[in-house]
Amino acid sequence: MRDTSPRLAAITLAFAGLAQAATAQAQVVPTFVDETANAGIDSVYAGEWQYMVGGGVATFDCSGDGFLDMLLAGGEAPAKFYLNQSTQGGALKFAEVTSGLELDAVTGAYPLDIDSDGIEDVVLLRVGESVAMRGLGACRFERANEAWGFNGGDAWWTAFAATWERGATWPTLALGSYIDRSQEIEPWGSCTDNWLERPRADGKGFDAPVPLRPSYCALSMLFTDWNRSGTPGLRIANDREYYRGGQEQLWRLDAGQPPALYTDKDGWKNLRIWGMGIASADVTGDGYPDYFVTSMADNKLQTLASATPDSPLKADYKDIAFPRGVIAQRPYTGGDVRPSTAWHAQFEDVNNDGLMDLFIAKGNVDQMPDFAANDPNNLLLQSTDGKFTEVGEAAGIASMGVSRGAEVTDFNLDGLLDLVVVHRRQAAQLWRNTTPDPRHWIELRLQQPGVNRDAIGAAVEVRIGSTVTRREITLGGGHVSGQIGWWHFGLGDAAAVDIRVTWPDGTAGEWLPLAAGSFYVLERDRAARVWLPG
Amino acid sequence: MKPIRRLTAAIAVAVLAGFGPLAAHAAAPPEEVLTAWYKMALSLTRHTATYTPPVASRAYAYLGVTAFEAVASGSSRLQTLSGQLNGLTAGPQREAGQTYDEAVVLDTALAATVHSLFENTGPTGHRAMDALEAKLHAEAAGGLAADVVTRSEAYGQAIAAHILDWSKGDGGAVVENMGFPAEYALTSGPAHWVPTSAIVQQQFPLLPGWGTNRTFAMPTGATCPLPAPLDYSEDPASEFYTQALETYETKNNLSPEQRAIARFWADDAMLSVTPPGHWLSIGMQIIDRDRIGLEKSVDILARLGIAEADAFIGCWNAKFVYDLVRPVTYIRRLIDPKWESLLITPPFPEYPSGHSTQSGAAATVLTSLLGDDFAFDDATDEADGLKPRSFASFWAAANEAGISRLYGGIHFRAAIERGLDQGRCIGAYTIALRTWR
Repeated sequence: MRDTSPRLAAITLAFAGLAQAATAQAQVVPTFVDETANAGIDSVYAGEWQYMVGGGVATFDCSGDGFLDMLLAGGEAPAKFYLNQSTQGGALKFAEVTSGLELDAVTGAYPLDIDSDGIEDVVLLRVGESVAMRGLGACRFERANEAWGFNGGDAWWTAFAATWERGATWPTLALGSYIDRSQEIEPWGSCTDNWLERPRADGKGFDAPVPLRPSYCALSMLFTDWNRSGTPGLRIANDREYYRGGQEQLWRLDAGQPPALYTDKDGWKNLRIWGMGIASADVTGDGYPDYFVTSMADNKLQTLASATPDSPLKADYKDIAFPRGVIAQRPYTGGDVRPSTAWHAQFEDVNNDGLMDLFIAKGNVDQMPDFAANDPNNLLLQSTDGKFTEVGEAAGIASMGVSRGAEVTDFNLDGLLDLVVVHRRQAAQLWRNTTPDPRHWIELRLQQPGVNRDAIGAAVEVRIGSTVTRREITLGGGHVSGQIGWWHFGLGDAAAVDIRVTWPDGTAGEWLPLAAGSFYVLERDRAARVWLPG
Repeated sequence: MKPIRRLTAAIAVAVLAGFGPLAAHAAAPPEEVLTAWYKMALSLTRHTATYTPPVASRAYAYLGVTAFEAVASGSSRLQTLSGQLNGLTAGPQREAGQTYDEAVVLDTALAATVHSLFENTGPTGHRAMDALEAKLHAEAAGGLAADVVTRSEAYGQAIAAHILDWSKGDGGAVVENMGFPAEYALTSGPAHWVPTSAIVQQQFPLLPGWGTNRTFAMPTGATCPLPAPLDYSEDPASEFYTQALETYETKNNLSPEQRAIARFWADDAMLSVTPPGHWLSIGMQIIDRDRIGLEKSVDILARLGIAEADAFIGCWNAKFVYDLVRPVTYIRRLIDPKWESLLITPPFPEYPSGHSTQSGAAATVLTSLLGDDFAFDDATDEADGLKPRSFASFWAAANEAGISRLYGGIHFRAAIERGLDQGRCIGAYTIALRTWR
């Protein structure tokens, strides 16, 4: 990794007439090439009933070269770790190496630097005991449950999120669980406890888990500062198939206070869906995160019913999936017209036009005849009018695999977002984004000294002309899949932008003029550094 | 009770109850087999995506007839329903002089029927069915002679096959896209139904052809017609407007008791056992509370299932004859653009109220079987946090179920009152069935 100063580039471009994002130009349909066969990836999420959900992937850089490495859940088979050997802009190339993460019964995984030593750790969600794996450097990991006081329990773990509560020197983890797997005849209504693992008083490990009751069979969790209060809440997507009296949830987590649910008195509506995955981005431009929640035959795009900063916000969300064109309720190609089953979802800008697009992984639970068997993954491009258009087939990612988890990320550091998808009982697939004549982009890595090194809970604002977009830096959500690495922003025709980081403690940094087409390390209270691969 | 005394007692009860000689069995009397499979069916209703209320009612009818025929075939007191229900021919006969175990017969018949009716459920449902089948079979067959088990299983399978074969030609066997048509021409005009949700599937109404399905006890879906709904009008002086205003104002000013009633009878598809399942649950609670014997239990459950299924066919027949607009559409158009119903407005026409029709039918049947002032408690949705409610009679419950739809903001009064009337008419055909010799 080489760091260098962006000053020259910035001086050259910052005030050379900031181009607006190419809002008026024709929408570019990205192109993806399936490079699974040659990339060295060969991993199957295997297993029967206890693996009907799950199937995640974690992407993070543990080798220190800036390229994101990858852990793929294997279900009843051992997970597989792949070292990224790609070159910038080149074909995707991975090598399976032994890392210590190769446990069996893994449903999903999330990377984070738990002990703030500058090395990414990994939480492995499992059927049975979840395990916190401490990063040792050079992509080696060791079990740290006992050392950190992390209680991995004994459950069917299916969701995860992490945050650093205000002033804490150790993260707070949320673990979501599913059905009591011992209940064969009466599994319905047997949702086991989700857990909140908060820091110990001495800040050097986790306290005993706090059950988040009631728990309703979580399949996705996300700490998110939904009202920009500075204190993230915990949004949970729950599978209505198994709960009794349940609903989607939003927990309030005030520092030092026990968790409390938002209720109808707070505006929270009783929404009951087959909640499976959460994606978040400010799609509406109101300055607050919107949430795409996956389900079966119907997906939700929730935005605040009334976002008026001058009065206290209510946690009252309305569904705009239909008018925005992101319901994605049935296959769009392949001839199977039965309803879809949606899992991982992720907002990213895959064509660098400055607008967040949406990827959705699809796949039948297990040969359920009322739902599509050939259920292609979705790639929905956002247009300037805020509506989305399906381009999965044209883009080349319309896989009919029985998909579960996924990550949209830049594996070969060319400014274009690639894609990995985990399938149930089938080999995972890997696509390289090969969109010709890509438009401008920028990728950022946030760093803080001390604790919470990756600045989880920060927000990045991107200003192009008079338009400011805001992105919350979160860890969680999706479907048992997470990443830490470069935060990618498409810029359209803007050759330079202004960037501002609001750090997790609420401190807003300066606006930084940065040139497009580069990787930057934004370290708190320090000048931005250009980072070059190689 | 010690095993030998228990066995002796069981044989005595069986003989007294009209059964022939029974094989000894270990731990699962047929009453428990019946209850276990019905509980499983109710659970699967909630967890099978195609199981909207009409589809659920159909399953309960076939399940009830299966249970009844399995028990009746070994009883000297029960009368088969073959020849009485539309299209049901005489079923397989038991071998004369051979011993059968009633629990194994019933378990095998119900297991096969539930597996078939809920074939489309998810992997957890299949796992649960398999586990229950294994458990009950072990309990029912344990300690029996092998030939008795084999003979009883074969007969139970034959009963199930006969009923399932009959079921395939009724028009409701195949439900695609969770019951929503791929194409449908909405009726034009302000009086008619339009979609009330932003869910793509629900831009067309649920099961528009269900009213033409083969009925069970009544001749056709059009047998119990309704008067036309109130004349559509947007005139504030009209009766239509007045009833819409009643729904609007009632929902806006609900008392805690009214709100609780609306929630209690909500019975949303895929979030509950559905309205017909709710009445089936009531029947099962009474059977359990009063320890009603096997023969009467299968009579109750079969008649309930038949009446509910006919009620949904009759109700759907009328719904698509009149195709009336829902309150939420009318109220937003003319009274309050931001109004929301308390309950989820179902995705099909308003008139008559399905819950009312089928509650009327259920109350008619249960009153006939158990009496006019039969008091009971209903804890159907206690596990979902809904407190049990007490009723002085089946009609008290049916009337409450009906008015709950007005409290919930999803029906006008006329659809409720006339729906209950339609249910009374439909239920009478089920009452007329002869189940006892």
